[in-house]
Amino acid sequence: MVQFNLNGKAVTLDVEPEMPLLWAIREEIGLRGTKFGCGIGMCGACTVHLNGNPVRSCSLPVSAAEAQEIQTIESLGTRESPHPIQSAWIEQQVPQCGYCQSGMQMAAAAFIAANPNPSDDDIDNAISNICRCGTYDRIRAAIRQAAQEIG
Amino acid sequence: MGVTRRAFLITGATLGGGLALAVGGVGAHIGLHNRLKHQRSGESESSAAGSLINLWVRIAPDNTVTVLVPHSDMGQGSQTGLAQIVADELDARWDQVRIALAPPETAFANGKPMQGFVSDAVAIPDWADGFAEKAFFRLADLMNMQMTGGSTAVRFTGWDHMRQAAAVARDMLLRASAAEFNVSESELSVADGVVSHAASGRTLRFGELVGAASELGPRDVAVKSPSEHRLIGSSLPREDIPRKVFAEEHYAIDADVPDMHYAAVRHAGVFGATVSRINNENEIRARRGVTDIVFVQNGVAVVADNPWRAEQAAKALDISTAHHANQAMSSASLEQAQRDALADTAEEASATGDVVTAFADASHTVTAEYLAPYLAHATMEPMNATVWRDGGKLHVVCGVQNPLMARAHVANIAGLDFEDVVLDARPMGGGFGRRVAFSMNDAVPLNWLTDAVQIALTQDRPIKMVWSREEDTRNSVYRPMVLAQFEAGLDNTGAPVAWRSTSFLAEADVRAVQPAYRIANQSIRFAGEHQGVPTGFWRSVEHSQHGFFKESFIDEVAVAAGADPLAYRLSLLDEHSSEAVVLRKAADMASWRYGADSDGRAMGCAVVHSFGSTVAQIAEVSLQNGLPRVHRVWCAVDSGVVINPQAARAQVEGAVHYALSAVLYGKCDIQDGGVVQSNFHDYRMITLRDAPTVEVELLTSDNSIGGFGEIGVPPLAPAVCNAFAVLGERTRRLPLIA
Repeated sequence: MVQFNLNGKAVTLDVEPEMPLLWAIREEIGLRGTKFGCGIGMCGACTVHLNGNPVRSCSLPVSAAEAQEIQTIESLGTRESPHPIQSAWIEQQVPQCGYCQSGMQMAAAAFIAANPNPSDDDIDNAISNICRCGTYDRIRAAIRQAAQEIG
Repeated sequence: MGVTRRAFLITGATLGGGLALAVGGVGAHIGLHNRLKHQRSGESESSAAGSLINLWVRIAPDNTVTVLVPHSDMGQGSQTGLAQIVADELDARWDQVRIALAPPETAFANGKPMQGFVSDAVAIPDWADGFAEKAFFRLADLMNMQMTGGSTAVRFTGWDHMRQAAAVARDMLLRASAAEFNVSESELSVADGVVSHAASGRTLRFGELVGAASELGPRDVAVKSPSEHRLIGSSLPREDIPRKVFAEEHYAIDADVPDMHYAAVRHAGVFGATVSRINNENEIRARRGVTDIVFVQNGVAVVADNPWRAEQAAKALDISTAHHANQAMSSASLEQAQRDALADTAEEASATGDVVTAFADASHTVTAEYLAPYLAHATMEPMNATVWRDGGKLHVVCGVQNPLMARAHVANIAGLDFEDVVLDARPMGGGFGRRVAFSMNDAVPLNWLTDAVQIALTQDRPIKMVWSREEDTRNSVYRPMVLAQFEAGLDNTGAPVAWRSTSFLAEADVRAVQPAYRIANQSIRFAGEHQGVPTGFWRSVEHSQHGFFKESFIDEVAVAAGADPLAYRLSLLDEHSSEAVVLRKAADMASWRYGADSDGRAMGCAVVHSFGSTVAQIAEVSLQNGLPRVHRVWCAVDSGVVINPQAARAQVEGAVHYALSAVLYGKCDIQDGGVVQSNFHDYRMITLRDAPTVEVELLTSDNSIGGFGEIGVPPLAPAVCNAFAVLGERTRRLPLIA
């Protein structure tokens, strides 16, 4: 049994401790906003927060979440009350296919929480998620905008 | 023959008492190239009442205008663009417009419209250059067309057909209103979804008019002039973006069907080969959650109650691959076969002037050989599908660029009637040509759908099959590897007088291969046939290789002539040509300079016309610790017309980044009949750290409307390589970082 807090609610799962958190969240719990991209922690489509820090859930065993706080894109914000990252993402019209953007926004949200006044170099060095549609320029602009808003 | 703009219309009161318009006629038949939308009605197509629906503009009594878009979303934003076109031409309010994806239905795939299409489309409309031309003929006999690709959505479906359908609808609403008010049409105006009679102050909303309007016969009416456009040309926010930001978009991989199990696949590892034996079947079956093992066409699938359990079991399979002739295939052998073909079997596809004499008379000759490698698409969402039986129906959830053809493919694999396949086409987590349902050879791009159907047919419960990234990379339909050899003859002033190119694979459209420049004597030659590696369409198709070749070579020719490559290009172009216009614009944007600056930065340029648009790019690069870095890319685009500037710019920005991954890192090596690379660690993609700043300027012109989805790709490789050439590193084999 693994127990952790997911988006503020306690969950208990009867799964192998080595099952990646991604698959526990997506298919055992059914929250599918977090995406599968590569399975080896390279692309970041599966990024979630572990105690506020961005982690690649495809490569994190669910046992590492034991008694921890996990946040997924589903808790980042809502249409009524969007996270500054989400507002900026809409303002800058960032997504194209959108598939990587849950992970991208989770990475960006954790990043600006720790770096309220980032340079482009800071952004480039901190966020290594892959977007195949190539929305990178707009991602930078949106992160700068959101950082300004919270800063 | 151009697209015939005149349309006859079939109308009727349909669907919730609203007004539905379908455009027929020759022009609309060509619309089948994109995808015909048919509503099932049981009536013959001639009895109207919505039995033939090509492009839908549906107005409901509640005043909503629904645009049924026949193109699936893969991030290109064309759904918003299409709705803009309709709303503008209809004079609707933007907020009363809804967008709905047309379902993959066909009532008469072999019916009259298609016959008309086939016979009328012998000549190709001028927008259908490059990829579209050949696809046209290939598709004409396949019937089940419903296509997102070839950068056709906005410029063809929208500009040629939806716009006309909307203009006709507006006219019908206007006439219905004139009858209601008992005034002449000329006394009425239409704006924001309301018809007004200024003299009396009376108004009627569209929703109040649809009943009467649907009783009227349609007339052939003119569309607006550009000066009358209100929404066309404005950067409206894309309607899909909030869904994507709030994780409300449901991709195929997010399918959730009660009681489903999951399948993972291990393929044979050799193109075309089958798995002959599983050496540890009992061990695999004993693993937690595993419920079955199933052979598929080129591999083995493990079914389990959780996707990770399925994938771990599939990875643990110990399989033997049956012998296959392709096992001998390697990148080296394939390249040698191409070089031999170029030497031995080249045939001229187009010729201008007298190349032989021109070369003999030339004072200087330049030669070069280029290679573009195989590339996988690497969509962020790996190939997947969810399939289940329900009664006599087979249900499929998938992301495909041609839902109708995918539905036919599934029916074929399952041995079912087309009508018994229910296909739910979801937004795609990237397409880039990977999810197109056909190829120019015997490769089957829907191979993953074949797997999913074959697995599901053996199971009593729904199956969600997801290919791992490794299987996705190794079982794609690749951008073809192409070897190309170039020769140019210069006169004593350095001007080119002869140009000869010989390239592998005659599938390329010759217009994608011809240089844009004034060169009196030219010979374009092709050699060779499709090789054993499955190949398909990759964003911008043959322009991605041939843009690299020809725009690298003209640069080498310019350098040989001792000229500034940009000025040299301009000297060989009509000053009013699109190529010259966008090159000059890009040069302005970048403050073009030829030669490295004091920071060790250099610029390179390229210009390529594809999919109806002309794009010039200038890349600024440097070498940092010996590694190439692209700092900035300036793009000037002439697409004739622009519907949504910000969405159009996004496509070009994205294309630059997509192309840059390929230029810096992209190659799929072949060894022992399969692809060596497997995941993002060895098939690398750029991230923010590599991503240049991209500036895009959109120019409008009198040229016919061009596409946007692909056009930003072709100039990037040559612009970047031409820039590195300034720093002393001429690259003729991609990628830059091998």
